[in-house]
Amino acid sequence: MEKSIKHIWKYGFEAENNLIAPKINDLYNRKSKHIVDKFMRMFKFNMWFLIIFSSLFLIYSYFNDFLLGGILIFVLFNSLVLVNRNLFKTLRHLNTNVPSIEYIIAFNEWLNKQVTMNKKLAHYYYPLLFISFMVGFYYSVGGQELVNEILGTSHQIYFINGIPVFWAIGMALITGLLAVFGGALYKLDLYLMYGHIFKKLDSLIQDIEELKSE
Amino acid sequence: MKLFERIFFVPPCNIFTIKPLINKKQLVSNDFYTLKILPYAGIIIKICRAYTDSQEDFEDYYQEVCLQIWRSRVQFRGDSKWSTWIYRLSLNICLTSIKKKRKNKQHINSSEKMIAATIDNHAFSDESLNLLYDAIKKLSEIDRAVILLYLEEKSQKEIAEIIGTSPNNIGVRINRIKERLKKLLDGKIN
Repeated sequence: MEKSIKHIWKYGFEAENNLIAPKINDLYNRKSKHIVDKFMRMFKFNMWFLIIFSSLFLIYSYFNDFLLGGILIFVLFNSLVLVNRNLFKTLRHLNTNVPSIEYIIAFNEWLNKQVTMNKKLAHYYYPLLFISFMVGFYYSVGGQELVNEILGTSHQIYFINGIPVFWAIGMALITGLLAVFGGALYKLDLYLMYGHIFKKLDSLIQDIEELKSE
Repeated sequence: MKLFERIFFVPPCNIFTIKPLINKKQLVSNDFYTLKILPYAGIIIKICRAYTDSQEDFEDYYQEVCLQIWRSRVQFRGDSKWSTWIYRLSLNICLTSIKKKRKNKQHINSSEKMIAATIDNHAFSDESLNLLYDAIKKLSEIDRAVILLYLEEKSQKEIAEIIGTSPNNIGVRINRIKERLKKLLDGKIN
């Protein structure tokens, strides 16, 4: 059988006149389909989205008496950009010109590092995003008007240092939940988008480990 | 004068794709493809065929490998042969490329699926070669890499260097793959 496999391969291709390269159109300007390039594009897109969105939101908040919320969200989003920018730099240095095992392991390590870092951050930035919105809203003109309107009617609201107790409890509860489940939310989002890549990498790594132990 | 020479050095295969105004980068790219990639197109075709199930995917992978060779060309330091370098890079790209998902998959009825499968499984005129490729595609991705290099008559040492493990491990794995292929092809090839 060994002989026949080699024979089929060798003489099959020798007799094969159709080993012609497919027609290539605009090779060096076409979008890459490689995982690393896809991640790089995703990173760039996400970073620019965060910068542009937070900047536009800051401008919007300035003109709509929501400046505190705008500043907090701007700072939060741009800190996230700074952290991920450093991760992005390491991805650029991933060398394709190394043995397959090294390459796959290096890529997997980068991916795990990125996921771990962002998962840790998610425990903070989801609650911080929520707090930024709520604090910004509370101290905005619209927010204060709403509070005054509620206080103007007959009510039974308890205050501590001028802050409504139930409002504060609700805030704390939601913030706490976001802090606990922030990482899970991030992972869910990530697996929905890139689950098939993670599965493929896992099976490759498993196969590599087997090959090494043989 | 150099630019003039370059303009007339553009390979014929790209005549229909180049724009009237050609920039320098594009010219250099075309030269690179013709001189450094095209002579090894056979290797790339063999590898890309083993990792794809359709003509469309195959063309995408081929294009991807060519693009990555161009991008990574500065990393080639001459430690190995250019062909070995191309093997290594092509395998790395194919191993970690994203399979193109077919759109409107659910709209294809079973008869159309059968026609598509027939077309995809007949990439070569040699029927035995098509059957061998079908069997290779049933192997794991790493095993495909190993057997492709083996069939290209690379030594166990060279395969181990490309894959990144020891020659002994490769030897054991090759025997196992051959057994698997034997079972997969049993009775199909005379």
